[in-house]
This record gives sequence, C-alpha cells and structure tokens, in this order.
Amino acid sequence: MNKGKYYPLFVAIGIFLVLFIFGKFAQGMWEPVALIMFYVAVGEAFNVFLGFTGYVNFGYVVFMGLGSYGMALVVSSSSMAGLGPWILIPGFLFAAIMAGILAAGVGAIALRLRGAYFAIATIGVNQGVKFFIEGAKIWGGSEGIIISKPLKVALGPHLANAVTTFWADFLVFMIAILAAVITIVFLHTRLGYGLIALREDEDAARVMGVNTTKYKNIAFLVSSILAALVGATAWCLKTTYVFPDDVFALSYTVDAIVIVMMGGTGTLLGPVVGGLIYGILKYWLGILLPGFQLLILAPFIIIIIILFPEGIVGVLKKRVRGKKLEKFIA
Amino acid sequence: MEFLRMFSGDLINGIILGAVYGLMTMGLSLIFGVLKVVNVGHGAFIMVGAFIAYWMFTLFGLPPLLSAILALIVGIALGFFFYYVVMKWLLEAPELSTLLATFAIGIFLAEVAKAVWGPDYRGYSWNVGSLNLGVTTIPMAKVYALLSSIVIAVALYLWFKKTRAGNALRGVVEDKEGARVCGINVEGYYALSFAIGIGLTVMSGVFITLFVPVGINPYMGEVYTIKAFVIAVLGGLASPWGAFFGGFIFGLVENGSYAILGLIPGVEPFSLTQCLAFAILLVLLLLKPEGLLGKK
Amino acid sequence: MKGGKVKLVLIALVTACMVFPFSFSAMAALPGKVVIGGPISLSGKFAKEGQQSVWGIKAMEKWVNATLGGVKIKGKKIPVAYKYYDDESKKEVVTNLMERLITKDKVKFTLAPYSSGLTLAAAPIVEKYGVLYNSHGGASNRIFEQGFSFIVQTLSPASEYQTGPLEMIKKIDPSAKRVAFLFQDNEFARAVAKGAEAKAKKLGFKVVFNRTYPKSARDLTPVLTELKNAKADILIGGGHFADGQLLAKQLDDMGINLKLVSILVAPTLPNFYQALGTMAESYMAPGQWGIGAKYSPAAAKKEGIPYFGPTQKEFMKYFLKESKGVKPDYHGAEAAAAFLAYVKAIDAANSLDPKVVRKVMNKLHFMTFFGDWKIDPKTGMQIAHKMVVLQWQGKKLQIVWPPAAQTSKPFYPMLTIKQRKAGKLAIVK
Repeated sequence: MNKGKYYPLFVAIGIFLVLFIFGKFAQGMWEPVALIMFYVAVGEAFNVFLGFTGYVNFGYVVFMGLGSYGMALVVSSSSMAGLGPWILIPGFLFAAIMAGILAAGVGAIALRLRGAYFAIATIGVNQGVKFFIEGAKIWGGSEGIIISKPLKVALGPHLANAVTTFWADFLVFMIAILAAVITIVFLHTRLGYGLIALREDEDAARVMGVNTTKYKNIAFLVSSILAALVGATAWCLKTTYVFPDDVFALSYTVDAIVIVMMGGTGTLLGPVVGGLIYGILKYWLGILLPGFQLLILAPFIIIIIILFPEGIVGVLKKRVRGKKLEKFIA
Repeated sequence: MEFLRMFSGDLINGIILGAVYGLMTMGLSLIFGVLKVVNVGHGAFIMVGAFIAYWMFTLFGLPPLLSAILALIVGIALGFFFYYVVMKWLLEAPELSTLLATFAIGIFLAEVAKAVWGPDYRGYSWNVGSLNLGVTTIPMAKVYALLSSIVIAVALYLWFKKTRAGNALRGVVEDKEGARVCGINVEGYYALSFAIGIGLTVMSGVFITLFVPVGINPYMGEVYTIKAFVIAVLGGLASPWGAFFGGFIFGLVENGSYAILGLIPGVEPFSLTQCLAFAILLVLLLLKPEGLLGKK
Repeated sequence: MKGGKVKLVLIALVTACMVFPFSFSAMAALPGKVVIGGPISLSGKFAKEGQQSVWGIKAMEKWVNATLGGVKIKGKKIPVAYKYYDDESKKEVVTNLMERLITKDKVKFTLAPYSSGLTLAAAPIVEKYGVLYNSHGGASNRIFEQGFSFIVQTLSPASEYQTGPLEMIKKIDPSAKRVAFLFQDNEFARAVAKGAEAKAKKLGFKVVFNRTYPKSARDLTPVLTELKNAKADILIGGGHFADGQLLAKQLDDMGINLKLVSILVAPTLPNFYQALGTMAESYMAPGQWGIGAKYSPAAAKKEGIPYFGPTQKEFMKYFLKESKGVKPDYHGAEAAAAFLAYVKAIDAANSLDPKVVRKVMNKLHFMTFFGDWKIDPKTGMQIAHKMVVLQWQGKKLQIVWPPAAQTSKPFYPMLTIKQRKAGKLAIVK
C-alpha cells in the first residue's frame, strides 16, 4: 500500500485539530466551531452515500432524527440511569441500531429505484416515519422527549452540563474523523472502486461483475448510521430535546446537499471545506445582517455552483493534477 | 349510515383537494420532464402566486380567476428570468447543481417576499356562496378551483398534442439528440418549458388560495413542495398528466382514509392519514418503479 | 484563462470571509451599558413572532433610557442596551448566537428565543456561563420541570392558555356542557390541550370530541365532518397562525354553528379579521395580553403591589414608533415585559451579578402594563400573570375575560354563520 494515499486524511484531521484548538482556547468560539463541525459531519456522512453512488438520499434527515430518538429513549429510560456516563454507549448503540434497521429496510426496497424516484421515495420515508410517530403516539407522539432532567439524574447536574456544552460537540469531532477515515477507506478499496464504477454507469458496472446492489446497500447503511450518530449527539445530547417536527425537518437534508456540493462530491475534503464555508458564512451573516442573511446566502450559493460546478475541492483537484500538492487533495 | 355519510363527504372533499394538488404539481413535472431538473424551490413560486391573488383581491378587488391570468404572465416572466440568469449555466453541470440552484432560488424568493411584505399571515374572503350536496357543504370558490384545474389540465394536454410547439417539445422530452438533429432549437424549448412550468406553478398558487384563502405568508411553500414531489412521483415524474392523476390519488387518500383510521382507538387519525399517503407512494414505487403513468 | 482568474478571486474572497468574523469579534461589547439580549427569529417559521418581540423590546429599551435613564446601581444610572441576532428559527444556530452574546457582547441577562424548543436548546449554554435567562416565548411547562436554576418566565405557561374560556362559560352559561377539543398536533398545542382537559374535567364539562390535526394539513374537512356530528356547544383548539385562520374559515364553510369558539394565537392578530372579514366576528382567543388591558398604576395599588414601567398608553406610543404603525400583539408585549422584568430586578437587587438578581427575583411581585410578574422560586415558572380571553367585537379585539380586565362584556353565544355572513357585528348591548 502506498502511504501517500492517506495524506488527504491528515489534511482533514489537521483542519479539525486547528478548529478544535481555536474553539477551545479562543473565548466564546466553541459554539461556532461546534456549528461548523456539525455541518462538516453532516456533510461527510451524506457524502459517503451520495459521493460514491450518485444517489441523492433526500430523506437523509430521517436517520439523524431516528438517531436522536435512539439516544433520547435510552437516556430517558429510568432503568439505565444507574450507568452514569456509560449511558451514552447504549445510547449511541441504540441510535445506530434503529437507523441501521430502517436503512436496511429502505435499502432493500428503495435502492431498486433510480435517480429522482429514489430521492423522492426517501422523502416519503421521512414523512411517513414522522407522521407515524405523531399519529400512533409512540415515543411521546408530537410532544417528543425532553432529556434535560433525565440526563441530570444520570450524570449529575455538573457533568450533564459539560456533556451538553462540550462533550456532545467533542463527539461530533470524533464522528467527523470516523467519517473521514471511512471515506478514505472507501476511496482506496475494491468497494470504493466498485461504487465509483456504479456512479459512472450502473448498468455497465453490473455487466462488469460489480455486485451493485450489495455495494449500494453497504454505502447506504454506513451513511445512515453515521447520520444517526450525528443526530444522537449534535441534536439529542446538545439541545436536550427531540420534537418530531424538528428532527424530521427536510431542510437539514438540503443543508447536507449544499455542503457536499459546494465542497465537491465524492472527495474526502469536499464536505470539510463545504462545511467550513457554510458554517462560517451562516454565523457571520447572521451577526452582521440579522434578518437578511439568507437573502445574501442564496445568491452566494448560486454563484458558487455556477463557478465551481464540481465543488471547490473538485475544481482544486483538477488544477493540482500532476503537481506536488496532488497527493494532499482528495 | 353515519359512517357512510362521513366517508362520502370526505371523498368529495378529497377529489377537490386532489384537483388542486394535481394542478400545483403539473409545473414541477413539466420542468422535470424536459430539463431533468427537480425544482426544490417549487413552493416559493406557489407562494408568489398566492400573494398575487391576495394583493389583486385586496387592492383592486380583482377576482382570483382573473388574477390567475396575471399570475401566469408573471410566472412565465419569472421563469425566463431565472432560466437565463441561473439555469442556463448549469445544464452541463452535475444533476445536483440544478437542485441546489433551485433551492437557492426558493430561499431567495421567500426572503424577498419577507423583506417586501413582512412575515405576516394574510388571507382574503371571496364570497361566492356555497353548494350543498347533502353529505357535505362546499364553498363555490372550491368548485371553481376544481373546474379551473380540469380546464387547465385539458388545455395543456391539447397544447402538447395538437400544436407544433407542443409536438416539438414532446420530441425534446423523448429524444434530445434526435430533436436537435431534426433542427429543433432544443435550448429554446428548455427556456420555454421552464418558463411555462414556472408559470403554471405560480398560477396554481392562485388556485390554492381558492381552496385555502388564509395563512398566506412568505414561508407557506414548504409543505406544498414536499407534497408536490411525492405527487409528481406518483404520477410518473416526467408527465404533467400523470401528476394531475397523482394529485387526485393523494387527495383522496389524505381525506378519504380519515373516517376509516378514526375507527382505531388511541391514535391521531389525521396524522396517520398523512403517514398513509406517503406509505402508498412507497408501495406504488415497489410495484411500479416508474410511477403510475411513467414509461420505461 | 479568464474563468480561472474569477475563481481565484472567489477563493480569496471566501478565505477573507472565513477570517474576517474572527478578527473583528473583539470590538462587539458595548462599554458603559448594561446589555440585555438574546437570539430571536427574524427569518424562518417564527419570523412573525420574532419581529414583534424585537419591536417590543426595542420600545422598552428606549423607554427605560428616556424615562429612567437606565438601571440604577449604587446610586449611579447606567443606560441599558438591547442586543440581538437572528437565529433563523433553527436550534443549531441558537446555541452559538447565545454563546456569542454572553462572551462577546457581555450579556449577563439573556432573553430566550421564541418557542419552547429553541428555549430548551439554548438553556445549557446559559447554564454553563451562569447568566440569567428570561423566557418570553417558551411557554411549555416542561421547560420548568428540567431543573434549570437560571431560568425565569415572564409569560403564563402553556397549561393556562385555554382555561380562561372554560371558566368564563361556566360562569355565564352553566347549561353549555358539551366541549370539543381540536388542537394542532405539536408540542405547544398539546401542552395547552392538557391544561384545558384537566380544567374541563375539574369544572364538570363533558368532553365530546378530542382530536388533533397535523401541521401539514391544508384541508381540515375530514376532522370537521366528524366534529359536526359530535354536536358540541364549545370548541377549544388551534395551534398557530395559518392553521388557526384555516380552522375558523372551514368551520364556517362547513356550516358548523357553535356557542363559543376559542382558537389559539391566530385570532389575536389583526390579520385574522382582515382575512375573514365579518366572518371573524365573535371568535375568541386566549391572549397573554391585549390592547386596552386594564393593568395600570391604580390597578396595582388596588392589588397592593408596585407598578413598574410604562403605562398602556406609553407602551403603545413607543411600540408604534418602533414598528412604524404596526399594532402590538401579545408576542410583542410579553417580550417587552421580560425586558422590563430585568430592569426592575436589577434595580431592586442594586447589583449586576446574575446570582444576586436571580435571588431578588424570587421575592419580587410587581405589575407592568403586561400584568403581574411573580415566579415560583424553585423552578422560575411564572405564577402570577393571568391570561386574558380576547374576542372580535364590532371589528375590534376586546378583552372579555377575566371580569377585572374586561374592556367589554363577552358576546355570547357567538353569532351564527348566517348572521355573520349577513354582515352582523357582535356588539354587546
């Protein structure tokens, strides 16, 4: 194996490290950094499926939502309160399992569809799950779950506050690193090659003997579980509440698409760059022009897509081809 | 007996709702059919139409059926504008770029509407009496919405099938390269169909206010976007008429299933009707992956 | 290559964007002022409430500085300032704006964002920095069951919203027993419904119908058909702006006559009347406050508590100046009152230390133009403020309940659909 293949991973982790140090030691900058990392992680998890298969999982947010429900259910169940901080482990496990089961089911059914049909079928899944929770009144129905109190009971007020204001974001960093590692592994294994062949021409790939169904399902499952982990920490642990109306909002899928597209699909650094730009722009515009930030953001997005149709990293990759920098960008 | 009365009343309302749903989706399907663009900003154009109906009625007392024509013109102008300013540059770009661009257009429109008209929730009352059908009472405004939807759908159908422009457009949909070889100005038809699609959408916003004349505000579009997506797929995505039928199915399921689901104790039947409507989409896609009227 | 250059310029621009916000972040604090502030929604689904809140608070900032010269600490007057950012009605944005306000703008007295969800989202940050947190738009009772120590509430909690109409009907028409509940299926409306159900049970009403409708529903006819068969006297329900207007509209379309209809939020806005015309006559709604409310220095004296802040007239004057003529609804008033509560408490504590101020708040009981202000010392929940019931009478929104706050007697039973269609106005003789 050529070690150089992993250089882009070091670049990504380097960026995370700089962000972490900046957030930790610059006063009042932790939350903005956490927002950026949230966008980065959401983008990376989304990219694992979109970037490698070309399929748009428009109902992506359903997995983030289920993930936050998984965590909330564990934290709020009184039988687990004795576990102390360890309660987060079954929380994440449960989040991953719930998302995993749904992803396996959706994968088996919807992945037979192509293009826009798939994208919209996943919207159906998201809306269906949301209305089922509300209509059948499970998990608190439309009232959702608030975990602030149970978290305090399980961890004590001091640690509970540290979890919501620091450790939840720290875990987002960890998930972002995990997603980056998975992306690089995908990029350099048979699985990844197969998926990229599939993205270029699914029928041809199948003729060439790529087990497209299996590969698609694996990428879908991995992406969904990563999304669930992000939801479990960035939503459930950080905001301490899970309302169905809020965690199944499709606007978050659109956020993910914006991040991945701005950065560059199917690249490792794409979602990192996209998340950075998106997070910083939102933060900055929200402070400078309260109430008008989206009015500026929208044309900005259009300009970026017209100038960088393959995303910033995608275009950069082309420019550095054959140069020294090449091995750092993927 | 009571149950049957309720059920038939729900079905009648479902048909009217379905007609409006169908109408609002046709523009989306047309644009997808020709340009292969999923218009994520769809709801924002509906919002523009709703505001046109509102302002024309409150400022000049113009009945919504007349402002529909104005809305069509405004919509076509908006369509050409956004096509030449944004979409044109993205035809060769990856599929998702156009999706993002339409998303940004949608946000932009909503924010402009908020900046100009404020975030208020507005409404108007166009009193034209109502129709008593025994099992249910229907305001005439809704009946007009139903009739106009059908008229517009038929008109669009005839335009497609009987006129030269329509024929050429069909050619573009079916075989882009072939059409180019035949000397058809493909890019021109892209612009035209985007403009007509947006025009139809803005106009449908006017008819939506006949059905729901209240709650008009800059962010009203989101719900309609999601529903339109699903209806479009139900009908086969690339076919405006499929969308029209898809709308009927969606409306009938949403309203018609309420009485039945209401028999289950301990649940919220209304939320479940929405769940069912999306579940039906999934089942249908499982049986017929190209939608109802979709072609292989 | 021209395109290449454009791209390079853009990359440079983007990089500049990334560095810029961090470089000038140090200059944000306002020296020599007591800064009170919070994230508020100026775009997104709570933009309407957010805009009212900003107007209300800005009006009070001006009033306090003009009339009192600011807060008084150890004999010295320090002007107050209001600082806010737009949270886009999104939970992930709220947390980071809140941190910025606390650390960069040195806000020690924060105002919660609008809605229970966003209030919960920012609470841990507030807790972390040990500053005060005043909720003016987070009504859910559950917020106050979570054991936050720095949170106080200025508005009445959700459980109180729809109890007023029930109390009123019990007094004026004991024969009306059949009550129907039809709320939107969301967190806030559910909390309201729970409070109303408990009250109905206590007062001996018969609940003949109890359903919800989802936020995405654009046609309520199925549930209304069912409601029609339930033969209720009273309908209590609603959720937000758009669906409340739709509910009223379709009740009339379907020919459902009731003796009283009280809908959350929507009818409290002038737009409700604008949208429905005379069909809006005699619809009721619970309100945290209404124009013409009777809270005044004299009323406070009668109650034996101090009065603080502007009179109703002054509030209207300052508010209309901020809003350029848009009338205040209760979202503007409750936010204004939260701001006033801080000023009052800081004055009383004679200190800018949030801990001291929080302690003093426990003992405070006073009246503003918005009504009483007193919190439960343990949870911080508002316990003295009373909701009012509002009703559209003769093109004006009147306060009809409780009797002490009345600007007009309740119009009961409400006009029939036929009467309203004929343009009859609900005028109490």
